[in-house]
Amino acid sequence: MLLLQVLINGLLLGGLYGIMALGMSLIWGVMNIVNVAHGALIMLGAYLTFWMFYLWGLDPFVSLPLTIASLFVYGYCLQRWVLNLVVRAQLFLTLLITFGVEVVMINVARLLWSSDLRQVAPSYAAANFEVGELTIPWVRLWVFATTLVLSLVFLVVLEHTRLGRAIRATSEELRAARLTGIPVAHIYAVTFGLGAALAGAAGGLWGMLFPITPVMGGSLTLKSFVVAVLGGLGTMLGAIVGGLVLGLAESFTATYLGPTYPNAISFGLLVLILILRPTGILGRKT
Amino acid sequence: MNVRRWVMPVVAVAALVVIAAAPGLLSPFMVQFVINLFMLAILAESWNIIGGFAGYASFGNVAFFGLGAYTTGILITKAGWTLAMALAAAAVVPMLFAALVGLPILRLKGHYFAIATLGVAETMREVVYNVEVTGAGTGLVMPIARTPALFFYLMLAILVAVTLVNAWLAHSRFGYGLVAIREDEDAAAAMGIDTTRYKTIAFAISGAFAGITGGVFAYWITFIDPDAVFRVIVTIQMIIMAVFGGAGTVAGPLLGALVLASVSELLSTQLVALAELFNGLIVILVVLFMPKGLLEVVKAGRGSFRVMARNLREYRV
Amino acid sequence: MSVAILTARGVTKKFGGLAAVADVTFDLREGEILGLIGPNGSGKTTLVNVVTGALSASAGEVRFAGRTLTGLPSHQVGRLGVSRTFQVVKPFRNLTVVENVMVGALFGASGGAREVRVARRQAEDVLAFVALDHRSDAPADGLNVPERKRMELARALAMRPRVLLLDEVMAGLNPAEIDAAVDLIKRIRERGITLLVIEHVMKAIRNLSDRILVLFHGQTLTEGAPADVLNDERVIAAYLGRRYAEAGRA
Repeated sequence: MLLLQVLINGLLLGGLYGIMALGMSLIWGVMNIVNVAHGALIMLGAYLTFWMFYLWGLDPFVSLPLTIASLFVYGYCLQRWVLNLVVRAQLFLTLLITFGVEVVMINVARLLWSSDLRQVAPSYAAANFEVGELTIPWVRLWVFATTLVLSLVFLVVLEHTRLGRAIRATSEELRAARLTGIPVAHIYAVTFGLGAALAGAAGGLWGMLFPITPVMGGSLTLKSFVVAVLGGLGTMLGAIVGGLVLGLAESFTATYLGPTYPNAISFGLLVLILILRPTGILGRKT
Repeated sequence: MNVRRWVMPVVAVAALVVIAAAPGLLSPFMVQFVINLFMLAILAESWNIIGGFAGYASFGNVAFFGLGAYTTGILITKAGWTLAMALAAAAVVPMLFAALVGLPILRLKGHYFAIATLGVAETMREVVYNVEVTGAGTGLVMPIARTPALFFYLMLAILVAVTLVNAWLAHSRFGYGLVAIREDEDAAAAMGIDTTRYKTIAFAISGAFAGITGGVFAYWITFIDPDAVFRVIVTIQMIIMAVFGGAGTVAGPLLGALVLASVSELLSTQLVALAELFNGLIVILVVLFMPKGLLEVVKAGRGSFRVMARNLREYRV
Repeated sequence: MSVAILTARGVTKKFGGLAAVADVTFDLREGEILGLIGPNGSGKTTLVNVVTGALSASAGEVRFAGRTLTGLPSHQVGRLGVSRTFQVVKPFRNLTVVENVMVGALFGASGGAREVRVARRQAEDVLAFVALDHRSDAPADGLNVPERKRMELARALAMRPRVLLLDEVMAGLNPAEIDAAVDLIKRIRERGITLLVIEHVMKAIRNLSDRILVLFHGQTLTEGAPADVLNDERVIAAYLGRRYAEAGRA
């Protein structure tokens, strides 16, 4: 039942890609900022989880809310006092500045944690859940479940709370939002904070499955971008669906083509999507 | 006889003569610094062609640099080519690759183009990492170079060439076409400019210069691996130097390279680990305070702080 | 009876299910000024976009000087000698006025001038013709509204077109400026250029046009001499609604 195993592996990984893309898609959709430092935020979440695990012995699932809160605050401040200053500049300048932020974050991480590989390995890390010929590590299952819960919570916040409405209003019609008294600078900061929080959660979860390095973020930023575009920019559900698709694609190529191809596949997918259907799987055609 | 027209070229030639004498006069450390400076200046000037003049901010030009480095590396170590031939190939191969990759990618706008170019660079690094002929992860070892003076003059020659190309662009029909594309691509097309062809040519020339520079770099540092020649920080450096000096001008990227490379060197002489960190901070500060380039701020003389403050507020929420 | 220099047959442009332009057929006769009017959203700009290749046609054919225009990319249309202005002007903001016009001279009909020096002289001539030469070296984004319109026009003229499509060049002009614009357009025609003029300013259109074509909901409503068309009940109804048309009759 190799096929089923590959499928399951892909889906489990895809959940993680989903919340990564959710964070990126949110920031992009609301403020038209493509956050090149998104991977660095994920990396920061991973390292914070690692720190709390080794300094205070906190189980990564237990420390997750702390990681999420810390990244939210960090993201809020970053947007409020740095990125808010360039929101209306040419696209490439906002890209450039988030690039700069990424470089700074990576190098600070190098100073704090060195370039050695780190991993968060709680006692149950190796335990597997077996059904017939399928082997599913418990950690991956819990990670997947967490990503689903986070996605759900996020969607509920966006659709059914005042804050969520304010965010959506600001993204759809900035001037009108301002006129109705929505504090745009604050809303932008909250939005980035939420995106960063999702990235941080993704990082915390990622750290349980894969090694943590200061430069782990680069390919993750690209993958988040691919998934965001794949699923359809601005549609949150699309990011989740896109994440699952990418997870599956990577799982299949890793198994049937070789472990070194998944990254090339995500880029290939990106170019294909951009050329053929720029609005993504679930996006609306303008 | 119009004297003013000749001032710039004469000054440039004089400067060139002085610079050419440098290897004999400077310490080996300084020579290394200047070679590195030349390299960054070339990359900034070559980026300027596609990013400054044509307005297509590529975030992946390091892909051409690395491709040129590996082309030279492979041709010298595995096919026994001479340096001259290998360098020529280092210009041609990335140029063709840029034209090829440009076909789908240059059709994209804004964020999509930028991230797609970034993706090209990242993917290339992955591919090189996994392929046998490039030495995969272990890299390639080049024959030991004779003297640093060789690289000094090679880089200087390429720098002069790319600067001349930029100067030509600033006054030629082709250059006007690129600028029109940058300013308003739809209007440019309506006015008779074959935007696809022009963009692709600009991208290809940009790639050729980045490539041949990569070739010289490979021979200079004598050992290359994917992490040495596909560094994302190089992309940021070339862009920020061009922007800082003045994107779309001829001397801007040179100025930017000179100032920023020197500042970066000064700040990081003590702690090499902080070099990249400073680069990142510089990027953030330049985008916040002088996104239109240093010249805009300097021209205001005593009002420069006010100009910087205005830049800070100009694009805010 | 002058010869048709540009012909459109059954030109249709659909966006999804909606036809912005539906089965439009007309001739543009050499040396004439054809007025194109219709209420907002009737498809005038879309029609110009299809003729110049900025948009592809869903159906139909446009021919110019013996060649098929439909299917050609917009730069080739410009090179063949068909120029246009944009309703919302598109200046090259970081260039000076003369440099803006030089781009037209460098790339227009038959590929334009090859030398920058020649193009500059041509641009200066065009700027003098449209009376904007006093602003030659001004930055393009420092112009006021009538100046911006003139520059847009100069850019298109510098391309040495045989046919010039003007899209609401008089929008935003005061009455004196409108009179000057009408004057200028007439002088353009005297130079041998055929014009299609989209306008909302009825006084100007009546004054300028040899014939008028009316579009409504993407279709041709009527076509003919200004006096006839502008008094046509259907045309008035299209603009102001049925009640005004009937009131006009009383």
